[in-house]
Amino acid sequence: MRRPAAIVQHVALAAALTVGAVSVVSAVDANYLPPEALATADGAAIYAHICQGCHMPEAQGAAGAGHYPKLSGDPKLVAWEYAAVTVLGGRNGMPGFGLPPNPGAAGPFGAVHLSDEQVAAVVNYVRGHFGNKYKPTVTASQVAKLPHPGTEPGLD
Amino acid sequence: MEQVSSASPLSRRELLRLIGTAAGGSAMYQAMSAMGYAADSPYRGPIDLSGAPKGVSVLVLGAGVAGMTAAYELRNAGYDVKVLEYNGRAGGRNWSLRGGDSYTELGGYTQQCGFDKDLYINPGPWRIPYHHRGILSYAKRLNVPLEAFVQVNYNAYLHSSQAFGGKPQRYRAVKADYQGHVAELLAKASRQDGLDSKVTQEDQEKLLESLRHWGALDKNYAYISSDATSARRGFEKNPGGGLSARPIPSKPMGLADLLDSKLWQGISNGDELDMQTALFQPVGGMGRIGEAFGRELAPLIRYHAKVTEIHQDDHGVTVSYEDTQAPGSKLSARADWCVCTIPLSILSQIPMNVGTPMATAIGAVPYAAAVKVGLQFKRRFWEEDDHIYGGITYTDLPITNIGYPSTGYHSSGKGVLLGAYIWGLNAMEFTAMTPAERVQKALDYGSQIHAQYKPEFDNGVAVAWHRSPFTMGCFGMWSDATRAQHYDDLCRIDSRIALAGEHASFIGGWQEGGVTSALDAIGRLHEKVVAQGAKA
Repeated sequence: MRRPAAIVQHVALAAALTVGAVSVVSAVDANYLPPEALATADGAAIYAHICQGCHMPEAQGAAGAGHYPKLSGDPKLVAWEYAAVTVLGGRNGMPGFGLPPNPGAAGPFGAVHLSDEQVAAVVNYVRGHFGNKYKPTVTASQVAKLPHPGTEPGLD
Repeated sequence: MEQVSSASPLSRRELLRLIGTAAGGSAMYQAMSAMGYAADSPYRGPIDLSGAPKGVSVLVLGAGVAGMTAAYELRNAGYDVKVLEYNGRAGGRNWSLRGGDSYTELGGYTQQCGFDKDLYINPGPWRIPYHHRGILSYAKRLNVPLEAFVQVNYNAYLHSSQAFGGKPQRYRAVKADYQGHVAELLAKASRQDGLDSKVTQEDQEKLLESLRHWGALDKNYAYISSDATSARRGFEKNPGGGLSARPIPSKPMGLADLLDSKLWQGISNGDELDMQTALFQPVGGMGRIGEAFGRELAPLIRYHAKVTEIHQDDHGVTVSYEDTQAPGSKLSARADWCVCTIPLSILSQIPMNVGTPMATAIGAVPYAAAVKVGLQFKRRFWEEDDHIYGGITYTDLPITNIGYPSTGYHSSGKGVLLGAYIWGLNAMEFTAMTPAERVQKALDYGSQIHAQYKPEFDNGVAVAWHRSPFTMGCFGMWSDATRAQHYDDLCRIDSRIALAGEHASFIGGWQEGGVTSALDAIGRLHEKVVAQGAKA
């Protein structure tokens, strides 16, 4: 099994703390996107705050008992529909982001909703970054035509 | 909010419904219960697997709670059992990170846990409800001592960054004031001729008496600042002895402020069956159960085994695996039967020749995001300064919870808090950070509740479950629709392969789900083996 080079982080933060001197968390936090700001997040922000949790900061993917696909240079990205359908409906253990917005039902564990425009934006972002060279041509109206979870019988 | 609509009289049914609505749980809590069904465990005592034919072998995949429950019982019943485990330790999500431990998450980020000896956090499960009799019975059989886990602490905080100037409020004050105001309102409604003839005079008197009792109302059914209400919500100055003895009652929060604050959402956190007193934790960390299982089953477990393929034929099951300490190695194990407890997030990526129904089910369950952060401080200021012993503070900040240790009370020296326990979008965002950033964020946010955070901070660790190499997510999230479509297909034995784990249960995300699903699966497997006799 090939592992990425271990980045050893001794999480003793005393030094970082005195330097950082972050006293109060302001409403605008560059490192954290509050739920209310999610609705207006662009492709880059969505990738950085959500996708990279699994697909990693350089879209290099990761491997353990299973793996997260490496999106950098992923040949499947040639078909934008594949990427968009995956973002909308999820794939295997990956949650989908195309469920209808319904905060009441979502709850703390629940679905995170991205609009068709945002799905298009993050697909364009991934297909145009990390060494991928596709043009950002995907539009919200194209995404809207794809199957969305929760809108078809038998899907949820 | 000082008046109840008096335009139309209330019927008894409406009144009762109003009480139900007012006392009902918050949206958040209802969502919490979606984690598992608030139902009693189906555990009915040790499983009977008598009559196993001699020499029948079972390969168990995964040495978590479900896998080791299966292995333990099958071995005791006389089966020839082997267990393959990806990690170098037993327990799976039953796990405590202690001082001196090292943890490398996906992406290669390694954390050295700098906690003092004997201090820990449980990145996974941290509490066991008294009615989770399955996991409790294994703790007992494996001689793992338990202690009480404090869920509700009346002196812990409910906090909203948007209310009361961001000042945290004591749970007891929020609860007493909410109850008191609601009781006063209902009393008012029922007395101002608001109730129609369906509520008898006698019923009304009983109701009023109960409201006074429940809400600590005065003789006029008012919720006011008094010794009686302060005895619930806390005094401005506590009663004492001698000349300085005289207590000063505190002033309740106004109902409108309380409703606006949404702090009432936190009142019912201990009301759900899964959170009701008593709850337990193993002394020394939840991981003690997995460790005890691991010792008990030591001769059976092959560690560092990454399963790469599962193949069944007419006579048995062959599992290919790699020794992760010898990358590229190709090993295999074979048995007559297989109990597979690998999380679906991973199993969905492993080639396995099962029928379409099970294969489809395996790919149909997304995994929840969750993050926990453990923070060690130079002293137990939450006890020394804030008088909080165990329990949980709830906040609208992204950290969601601060969990105070239900152990080591009053000890001097350092202490470890659960500085964040996060789900949903917030958890995804914390997952996307480096471990050091997560710790820093937990510290930044938590310092809005406890000013001692910054001066007393020592070190921290952060576990994001989607970065866990051995689960790639926290637990399987079923919806009603996916359950209806796939759950039975997931649980049905496919020729020689049975699946088990919290993902194959209605107690998702709880260890009891793993235990009961394992017992259910091996019970059915055993029947099948016995029915086939020695020709297995």
